This record gives sequence, C-alpha cells and structure tokens, in this order.
Amino acid sequence: MTVLSCFHCNEPVLTGNQFVTHINGNDELMCCPGCQAVSQAIVDAGLLSYYKFRTEPGSKQTALVPDALNAFSAYDLPEVQQDFVHSKDSIDSVSLSIDGITCAACAWLIEHKVKQLSGIQQVMVNSTTQRAMITWDNTQIKLSDILGQISRIGYQAAPYQVDEQEQLAKHNSRKFLLRLGLAGFATMQVMMFALALYTGYFTDLDVQYRDYFRWVSMIFATPVVLYSAQPFYFSAIRTLLSGKLNMDVSVSIAIGGAYVASCFATVKGTGEVYFESVSMFTFFLLLGRYFEQKARQKASVSSSNLHKLVPLTAHLVTDNNIEEIPAKKLRLNDIILVKPGEMVAADGMVVEGHSSINEAMLTGEQMPIDKQANSEVYAGTINIEQPLKIKVTALGQDQLVAEIIRLQELASNTKPAVALLADKLSRYFSGTILTIALITYLVWHQISPDDAFWVTLSVLVATCPCALALATPTAVTCATAIFTRLGIITRKAGVFEKLPKIKHVVFDKTGTLTCGTLSVGDITLLSELPKEQVLAIAAALESSSRHPIAAAFAPYVDHQFKVEDIHHEVGFGIQAVINGCQYRIGNAIFTGAEENSAKQQIWLSRVIKDQNQPIAAIEINDNVRCDSLLTVSELKQRGLKVSIASGDSSGHVKQLAQTLAIEDVHTGLTPEGKLKLVKQLQQTHPVAMFGDGINDAPVLAGADLSVAMGSGSAIAKNSADLILLGDHLSRFTQAVSVATLTNNIIRQNLLWAIGYNALILPLAVTGHVAPYIAALGMSASSLIVVANSLRLLRFKQ
Amino acid sequence: MSIIYVLIPIAMIFVMIAVAVFFWAVKSEQFDDLDRQSVSILFDEEPKKPTSSDHPSASSTAQDKGLPL
Repeated sequence: MTVLSCFHCNEPVLTGNQFVTHINGNDELMCCPGCQAVSQAIVDAGLLSYYKFRTEPGSKQTALVPDALNAFSAYDLPEVQQDFVHSKDSIDSVSLSIDGITCAACAWLIEHKVKQLSGIQQVMVNSTTQRAMITWDNTQIKLSDILGQISRIGYQAAPYQVDEQEQLAKHNSRKFLLRLGLAGFATMQVMMFALALYTGYFTDLDVQYRDYFRWVSMIFATPVVLYSAQPFYFSAIRTLLSGKLNMDVSVSIAIGGAYVASCFATVKGTGEVYFESVSMFTFFLLLGRYFEQKARQKASVSSSNLHKLVPLTAHLVTDNNIEEIPAKKLRLNDIILVKPGEMVAADGMVVEGHSSINEAMLTGEQMPIDKQANSEVYAGTINIEQPLKIKVTALGQDQLVAEIIRLQELASNTKPAVALLADKLSRYFSGTILTIALITYLVWHQISPDDAFWVTLSVLVATCPCALALATPTAVTCATAIFTRLGIITRKAGVFEKLPKIKHVVFDKTGTLTCGTLSVGDITLLSELPKEQVLAIAAALESSSRHPIAAAFAPYVDHQFKVEDIHHEVGFGIQAVINGCQYRIGNAIFTGAEENSAKQQIWLSRVIKDQNQPIAAIEINDNVRCDSLLTVSELKQRGLKVSIASGDSSGHVKQLAQTLAIEDVHTGLTPEGKLKLVKQLQQTHPVAMFGDGINDAPVLAGADLSVAMGSGSAIAKNSADLILLGDHLSRFTQAVSVATLTNNIIRQNLLWAIGYNALILPLAVTGHVAPYIAALGMSASSLIVVANSLRLLRFKQ
Repeated sequence: MSIIYVLIPIAMIFVMIAVAVFFWAVKSEQFDDLDRQSVSILFDEEPKKPTSSDHPSASSTAQDKGLPL
C-alpha cells in the first residue's frame, strides 16, 4: 500500500481522507487541519499560482490554536510598536521576519495575500533573507490584522531583533560587492591589453603601441588600486600599528610597489609593467574576502531572524479596572494579573491566588511548581491553572533572568579562543616573504644595481598569497552551504576547525535529548474498563487544562464524553462529571491510589459516594527524541565521551540515561553548576555542550563549542556557535563529518598554496619571472584552490 | 593599426557605462534576493477571482473549516 502525501506540505497523510481542499477542480488530500485551513485560505484568495510554480513543498502546518489568533493584539500597543515600527503621519512601516518561506513562490504568495488587504501601501518579501517590508496606513488597518492574515496562509511573521553584527555585515557586503565588481571589470580590460603586451615579448611590437597599451592599462588599474584594494591597506596599517604582521602587509606592499613601479615604467617607457598582476591580485583576494563576508552576513541574518520580538505585556490591576501595558512600563510594587497560559512579566511575589507555574525554561524542571500567596515567581515562566495576582518585586537588571544573562556574559569572556590555522600560517608567511624580498634586494644590489628593484618587485608579485587567501574562505563558504542544507546555522567563525577537536559532549536533558513534551506511557488497568475508554475519560478530564500533562492526552479526545461541573484542585488534579458519573484524575492522594515512587504516574478514579475507586494508573513520559539514541551511540562509536547535565532532579534523568546508555549523569544543576562542570571537563579536553533553555545560556557561552536547539530560548541561541534548526540531533554527527572534510580541504589548499610559492620563489629570486609568468601562476594556483574547495559540495548526507 | 587610437577610447567609455550600471544595480538592492526575481515573470500580476469580501476584521469562521475550534 502506498502512503499518500499531503498536497500542501508533502508529509505522509496518516489521517485517511478527513481533510480535503478543492484545488483547480481536483479534491486534493491534506495531512492535517492546519494544512487544510491554509490551502483553503490560499484558494479563497485566488492565489493558485503558488501551487503551480512552487519549487519546494510548503512547511508543515501545526493546527492553529484559536489563542494564536488573538496573540497578535499586543503588537498594536504604541509603546511596543515604538521599538520596531517607523511612523510618518499615519503611514507605518515595519520589517518582519517570516518563518516557513521555502521558495520564491512563498514570497509571491505572501505579497499578494497582504496586497489584497485595504490600507496596505507596499509589500516587499525577500525570500533569501526570509523577511518582509510592509508599509500600511494605520487608520485603515492594524499590524495585528496583517500578522493574522499572514498566519492564515501558513507563515509566522514577527518583528525581529536586529543582530548587532547585521547592519555592519550588510553594509560591508555591499561595499565588497562594489569593489569586487569594479576590480572584475578592470581586470578583464587590463588582461586584454596585457595579452597584446605579452605578444610584444615574442614579436616586435612598436614602441609607440606598447606605450599606448601601457597607458591604457594604467588608466584601468588606477581605480582598482585606489578604490578596490582599500581594505587591504587599512588592515595592514592597523596590524603594523599594533606591532604585528599579517598577510595584508605583504599584499599592500606588493600592490602599492608594483603599481607605483609600473607607473614609472609607463611614464619613462622603460622596465616592466605589472598592471594585470596588480588588478588580478586584487580581484582574487577580494573574491576570498567577499565569500567570507557573505557567509558572515548569512549567519547574522539567520540569527536575527531567530530573535523574534515577542512583546511581553502585563495586565496591570488598578483601582477600578485592568489594563494591558507593556512589561517595560511596570514599576515596583505594581499589582499584575497573570491569567492561565500567560507568561509572568516580571519577578514578583504572589499576593492572591493559587496556581502552579511551569519554570522549565529557567530550571529544566519539567513538572510545574505549586505557587500560593507569598511564593516567589520569576519573569519568563508560564502560569498554568488559575489566575494569579502578583506584586512586582524586581525589574530589569535585578530579575533572575538578568542574573543568568550576566553569568552568560562572564562565561563568554573566558571562552577558549580558537587559533585559525590560516591566520597562524599567514603571519609566518608574510614575515618570510618580506625577509626574502629584503635579502634579494641586498644581494642583487651587489650584483647589478639596475635590476635590484625589478627583481625584488617580481619576488613580491610572484609570491602572491592569493591562493593562501582563498584557501580557507572558499572551503568555509562551501561547508556553510552544506550546513544550511542540513538545517544547521553557524553563528561564529572557527566552528569548522573546532568541531573535529571535540572529545566530550554534554547534553542538557529537557528539550534537547527529550522533546520537552510529555506523552502517555504504560497504562495499568485497575478495573473492568477497557484501555480506550480509560484514555477517553482521562482526555475529557484534561481537555480544559493547560498543564503539560494535559497536552499528552490531546490525541485521545473523544467528543462522546461530555464534561460537566469541572473543578481544578491546584497541585492535586482535576475532578469532573462525565456522562453522569464523577471522575478524578491526579496524584495518588487525590485519587486514593497507592504511590509508586519509581515511576512518574497519574491516576484515574471513579468517585462513588465520596469513595475513590482507582480505575487506572497512567505513566507519563517525556518523549525521548527519535534520534537521541542514534546520535549518542554514533558519538560513542567515534570515541567521544557523553554526559548529561540537567537542572531536573527527578528520577526521570537516571531512567533516560539508562535508555541511552549514558554513564556520566549530573542532575539538579543550577546554571552556575552546569558552567562549573563544563569548566572542569575543559581542563582535560575540548567540550561541546547542547542546550535549549535560559538556564543553559551561561554554559553554552563557556563551552568550547555550543549547540542550541532551533526551538530553544532566544538567550540560549544567542550564546551558541551552532543552531540546529529542525531539532534533529543526528545532524550534529553529520556536522562533525563535514567539518573534518572541510579541514582536510583547507589543509590541502594551504599545502598547495605554500607549495606553489616554494616553486616560484627560486625563479623569482634569480630574476626569471616575467610579468606574464607571474600572472599565469597566480591565476592557476587560485583556480586550483577554488576547484578543490568546490569538491566539498559533493558531500552526500 | 592607428584605428586603435579611436576604438580603445570608445571601448573604455563602454566599460565605464557597464561599471556605472553595475554600481546602480548594487545600490538599488538588485543583488539582495537572487532567487526571487528570477521567477517573478512566471506569476500572474493579479490573482484570479479575488474575493472582495476578504476583510480581515470580519470574523472568518467560514474559511476556518476543519479547524478544531
């Protein structure tokens, strides 16, 4: 039997033909209500071209929660908008980051969907950076409406926090492209005249024509030397001022020297001209820099996109009513109301209400913590059951989250630096070349003073570090492209050199090795009721709860079971009447069952005349990620040590470690504790850390190499070197393979570059390198390096 | 052969124009999204059968068929 795939997202359809959309006269099958709603919205808007021209399937839709449709209202608050909306009269404009763009058709779809709304002035969607620039008239339409409409066709749009590197990276990329383009045009022209001049070596070219060609070459080479090559001069001057040497020093001397000397030769009509070498030199070097810059820009754009601005709002309780205000306008001792399912906006003290709060993001503890009057609550945690009134006790820098961020900054300052092979090489290389050039000059000065300058110049030009400068950037650019294909974002330089060196991998538990969502495990039946019925009753009881456990029962909801008269007992469980019979679900005390401390269980019981009759014990598990076991065993096969460091102190961690066969387990760790542990392990060998929560941020900043989950918190992603977009752990082992391969390619490139220089140096020193040989060697060596790097793209997953 | 005294300056003018066009293209952000512009010719300018009643503020339960509300 063939499994049909969803027309919208290409995932297998496991729901039969429940969900169908009528598209272009055919009934197309969908895999879930989300895809069905989205495709229906696309059809209703008359945007069928999307399905005709898309080159990639759409992204899988998770069914829209009705809450999500109201969640945008916070974006309309003026205080929130002033962070990211530019206003002019009644015209507002905003730049949004959009999740779910898979190809150019998506960009077209979003543009046209938004254009249909009244009050929209301009929409521009960029599918490369996955962003949209929207301008609208705020008297006719609200921002929340626009965001809502985009989410209706299956994309999540939100304003984003611009990465501080990004503005700079964008500006630099553009500058580099201009310099590169100019150098390219000029090099082509100069090369043409150079060919004419080369023929002059072998045939007799009239002196007047030769000089004419030289003048023309000079005119073309001038903007290259004065404009395109600027970055090398600045970098060289900076390095010299700090008393060091780098490649740019010898590059600048070669470019400047060769250009000035060639100008003299042109004006005087003697000697040699190296205009084509100078231009080509600049062009190749810029190409390498441009690749590097592009990769850096891509990384900064991706990380900005991951930083969605979710406005944190609070319901301020005043004397006569409750108003929604942005969290940053809160003051000490304000009373705020936190409804179930909402995030706590500031650190505070409960003054009224009794509820439980999910603090997993801060502590890694999965189970919500019971909170009543005088309990402390922290910003960023989520309220589960009942409304709470909270008195604000700390703001901004005094909150627990700010503490963790400070710890993260401290940790990142002590992060072990990685010395890049190419940088080390280039320092020695420059020193060597400059020394040899000096010796050459002195020796030739003794032999024949007239030739000394020209020979020295040919040494500088011939030993061009072009191939050396291209060696790393081209390989890294290709490797970054593969990483992007694998769904891995590289955020820092040097990742490729660090990855193969890792000897020990430390995993956080919740949200990393596990999905961070609970699911139903073994069920022990304690009465005559069949399993299906038990599950349906439990699901009905849990259907109104926001507790993480309730989500585990969502798949078992059966509408024949009607729930009435529901009571939530915070910290105990839920009681309700279903089809005329009273049931309870919750802990052992609440349901009158016998505790079994080895497992994480909840019980279901029937209440007859105030007597509990247990019906079933249901085990609750945190789902292990499907590829955790595979990843851990692969890492072990490669001879890496594996540990778990978790903030959770329940027995569940030990159980998980057994399942995954990990011996080294550390539980109940604070953020500082995790950092200490990794620092201790770093004494012996380089450590990689995986994490996702706020509590992992400091340790991620301190580890040699850190990997964050794409679904993790913004703070964690901020301190990570790598981000796994699809949350596939097994991608990490592939990343190690790619990095190993990349390192080999870089080494081959460097070896070749050094080899070529070793070959040409004796020729140059003895004065056998004419300008055409220098140009030929330069381009050949650079092309070989680029071709070698391109071999990386053949990497198969 | 002396014709090159005329032809080469003309060629230089062409190169200058090419460079100017390139600079203009970069500055007007034409190189910012390469995979989008290449296929924009395929799409219709106006969507077919636009539904005029598609006002966002109207509650849109009719289109939310299949949503587990």
